[in-house]
Amino acid sequence: MLKTMTCIICPRGCTIQVETKDGKPVSVKGAGCRRGEKYAWQETVSPMRTIASSVLVLNGELPLASVRLTKPVPIPQIFPVMEQIKKVRLQAPVAIGQVVIPNVLGLGSDVVATRNVGAAVSKSHLA
Amino acid sequence: MERRPGKFFFTFENLCPILILVYYRYITEISIKLKKEEDPRGGFPLETCMMKDQFDVLIIGSGVVGSAVARELSRYRLKIGVLEKNPDVCCETSGRNSGVVHGGFAYDPGTLKAECCVEGNREFDRTAEELDIPFRRTGKLLVGNTGEDLKSLKKTMKTGKLNGCRGLELVDKSTIQKLAPGVQGEFAMFSPMSGIVNPFLFTIALAENARQNGAEFFFCHEVTGIRREADQSYTVETPRGKFRTRWVVNSAGLGCGVISEMLGIAGYRIAGSKGNYLILDKRMGALLPLPVYPVPSNTYMGIHVTPTVDGNVIVGPDAEYVKDFTDYGVPAKNMEELAESASRLWPFIRKKDYIRNYSGILPKWVDENGTVQDFVIEVRDDAAPHAVNLVGIESPGLTAALPIARRVVKLIGQREPLTAKKDFDSSRKGIIRFSEQPDEKKEHLIQENPDYGEVVCRCETVTRAEILQAIRNPLGVSTMTGIKYRTRCMMGRCQGGYCQMRVAQMIRDELGIPAEKLLYSRPHSNLFTGEVRK
Amino acid sequence: MKSIPKDVVIIGGGPAGLAAAAELRRQGIQDILVLEREKTSGGILRQCIHDGFGLTRFGESLSGPEYAARFQEEAGRLGIDCRTDTMVISVSPQREVTAVSRGGLVRYRARAVILAMGCRERTRGALAIPGERPAGVFTAGVAQAYLNLYNTMVGKDVVILGSGDIGMIMARRMTLEGANVKAVFEIQPYPSGLPRNIQQCLIDYNIPLYLSHTVTGIHGRERLTGVTVSRVDERRRPIPGTEREYPCDTLILSVGLIPENELSRGAGVTLDGHTQGAVVDEYFRTGAEGIFSAGNVLHVHDLVDFVSLEAERTAGAVAEYIKSGSLPPCRLNISCGDGVGNTVPQKISGKKDVRISLRVSRPFRDCAIQVIQNGKVIVSSPRKGNVNPAEMVQVSVPQSVLAPDGNLEVKVKC
Repeated sequence: MLKTMTCIICPRGCTIQVETKDGKPVSVKGAGCRRGEKYAWQETVSPMRTIASSVLVLNGELPLASVRLTKPVPIPQIFPVMEQIKKVRLQAPVAIGQVVIPNVLGLGSDVVATRNVGAAVSKSHLA
Repeated sequence: MERRPGKFFFTFENLCPILILVYYRYITEISIKLKKEEDPRGGFPLETCMMKDQFDVLIIGSGVVGSAVARELSRYRLKIGVLEKNPDVCCETSGRNSGVVHGGFAYDPGTLKAECCVEGNREFDRTAEELDIPFRRTGKLLVGNTGEDLKSLKKTMKTGKLNGCRGLELVDKSTIQKLAPGVQGEFAMFSPMSGIVNPFLFTIALAENARQNGAEFFFCHEVTGIRREADQSYTVETPRGKFRTRWVVNSAGLGCGVISEMLGIAGYRIAGSKGNYLILDKRMGALLPLPVYPVPSNTYMGIHVTPTVDGNVIVGPDAEYVKDFTDYGVPAKNMEELAESASRLWPFIRKKDYIRNYSGILPKWVDENGTVQDFVIEVRDDAAPHAVNLVGIESPGLTAALPIARRVVKLIGQREPLTAKKDFDSSRKGIIRFSEQPDEKKEHLIQENPDYGEVVCRCETVTRAEILQAIRNPLGVSTMTGIKYRTRCMMGRCQGGYCQMRVAQMIRDELGIPAEKLLYSRPHSNLFTGEVRK
Repeated sequence: MKSIPKDVVIIGGGPAGLAAAAELRRQGIQDILVLEREKTSGGILRQCIHDGFGLTRFGESLSGPEYAARFQEEAGRLGIDCRTDTMVISVSPQREVTAVSRGGLVRYRARAVILAMGCRERTRGALAIPGERPAGVFTAGVAQAYLNLYNTMVGKDVVILGSGDIGMIMARRMTLEGANVKAVFEIQPYPSGLPRNIQQCLIDYNIPLYLSHTVTGIHGRERLTGVTVSRVDERRRPIPGTEREYPCDTLILSVGLIPENELSRGAGVTLDGHTQGAVVDEYFRTGAEGIFSAGNVLHVHDLVDFVSLEAERTAGAVAEYIKSGSLPPCRLNISCGDGVGNTVPQKISGKKDVRISLRVSRPFRDCAIQVIQNGKVIVSSPRKGNVNPAEMVQVSVPQSVLAPDGNLEVKVKC
């Protein structure tokens, strides 16, 4: 069977065709680079994604710190990961790269902060 | 205890009934059962009275006329209340027009429309100064091309003269080009007394001046019933409580027919004439120094182009009768026709300059043939004593607002003595606009108040200081649109794309309103569903 | 009011402004001032929390704030003077920059000005979408700022108009936060954003994308209750009879970015009707003496990596201008031929290698971008696969093929 997909690794968005047999990938054509080939293979076996979201920051100059996953997780785990992210409450200050949830749900990916948030100096939340 | 006849002893037994009587009177006549209630405007705590103290006058509707009535009545020792169904003043017809202060030549001589318009026009310089609002006496051109047009203009000039308009003159093509370059027309009537005003600021200023002088405003209080009591006072019902009052003034605009019926004055046929408008970028304002109309017909003013005091250009209105007085949607077809029609007069209209569009509905009193009638400013001593009924206040209601208000005062004053307040202050101060000041004044403002140095709205250069002043307005309005009209923030090219988030946060922080309670403009126009993370 | 002299004033502390400042310093220019209106620098990147930034520049897939932080840190290390909470309210043709901050009104007299103000979003009013005026209609950038910076959720049942990248990113963002995104409608017969975003923002979440559709009515007296959607014909006009109602409480508009050139107009800078940004030459110099432009305010980019690169090139030209007092004239005009929507620069000298950025006006497949001068094809750059208007395309034109006279045309040949 031939499966066609758009690669999401970089903005080129190459159209990649994966030949599958019994649902397993056999060959990959059309990828513009090695990363694309790997992506296409993985996509056929078990699609994985990274996501970005926000966590609550207490006593910070901003109310939220943006976060993202360090590694992709299987698509069906996206909303369970979101549930974990929603529970987080961080105390300011927050630094870029700070691990917010290590190895979330045992999926091999950390959730890290992607914004610096200093401690609040005034009540204003103007960002 | 020994009792001696003829003498009253201050014993507990004797005093008790007296104390009980005093307490009872206190409870029923002076005390108010207070209920703190959630305000649909958003967490602004409001005291709602189940049965308030009796008002002397309750004004229904705080458009420009209701606000003008409140202001004029606040010159006298009266307890005044204004009941408004929306979360702010000026939400309906008063804020949905082209902001023109009319000359008064378009109305039949001897009518209230003509009389009040000319009176209001003449005094507008003083009005604008007292209320600290922007007003420009730009003059107006009525442009024609054909012999019919010329005849019509000559007739208009005659009418104008009869009504007391000053300085009306016929001008030729070259004068048109001097006054309004690019306008297509062979000749025109020039009305030097016509002008332009910001209708929001005018209404807000009237209301704030009234408030300053003691009038109370009740927003989100739609009148649902009026009952005349045995003592000729009225009980006015709203979903948030009942009010007792000696006088009622019906200035409900689009709702004037409904309120008139509630008062027991039936039979007024109200037709709603809806007009659509386009707002063009401020860049276009430089091309249009004064309002330019085509020669008018009998039913409406014509598709004209009008500059605003802030430099935008308004194209419109068109006119068609509608049944639904709450539908302000602007259809695509109307926008196209407006642009196409007005372009024949002023050929600078381009879609890329559109900023926004809006519509307004005029409440016209019509007879059984559909012929538009004059303003009604009346007291029906038989059907509804102590009620001033204003019906069919459409154009030129903006220009005529204070003259109408004075006639309301006169009608009341003819029926009971009114005592003037010694401390009435006719002058109201608005918010200083940073963007309009020269550099030295700008620097001075910032030194005095650093909040003037924080520009929040980029397109209109509106500062934090102005927005805070607007949020702390004397009427207690807390909607996004309310802050918009008081400062011009969010009215520019990007329509709040840069600043609305900051303005929303400022309103919430200042007034303690949670996200889900902040309103856009109407009673249930909540902007947000809540926080992303709690 | 006194004018403070400065060598270079940069208006905007976003990705373009910061990159230009750092490059100027590296090229030896000391007296640099960056003026930024927000509380922190970083520009629009502050609210773009999704990843995909920096793949070319850093070889990593960073979020917007992380990408911005790299440049903020570099600017900090280089000791760049970046004034935040400072709004420039005018730029004169003589390069007098007037700015407002809590400290007061200040005027700078600059030898060179770099315009780096970014974009604003096209609004509903500008589109003249008919209908009522309820709460619940937001442009995508505004919704993104509310969600990511102000911790405010804007709605539950969402319809999105416009398949630009921002619209698709917001489709995913809102879905992750529990909203029900019903559909994305796009007026063109092809998507406006990158194919990867169709996959990872729409297909992943089962959000349908309808091409050749647009919103023709907005309903709701107080809060949005629904929209009317119609199919459009090849001239993008709604087809009567194809109307369908979509109940929703939120309409997100992702219908175009407009370079924010209001200050530029005041400075006497001529704008290009195709890009809505300044007309510039290969030195990123505008028609006004000493005024340069870079980043989204010059033309809308699709990748921030390229914004940084362009800003650095601009800074290189500005450094040369400051040191030598002038730059060579650029008299050869570049025009848009068949299939090309816009090009930057619009003028070149013909004496240097030059890189032209362009956008095609409609999608092509397996075509070639051609540069023509004096009737001859001097460059033919083949492109395999899809080339669509959403991507910025680059064509290198080496000096060796350029004649010193004769205007150029860029077109698509398939």
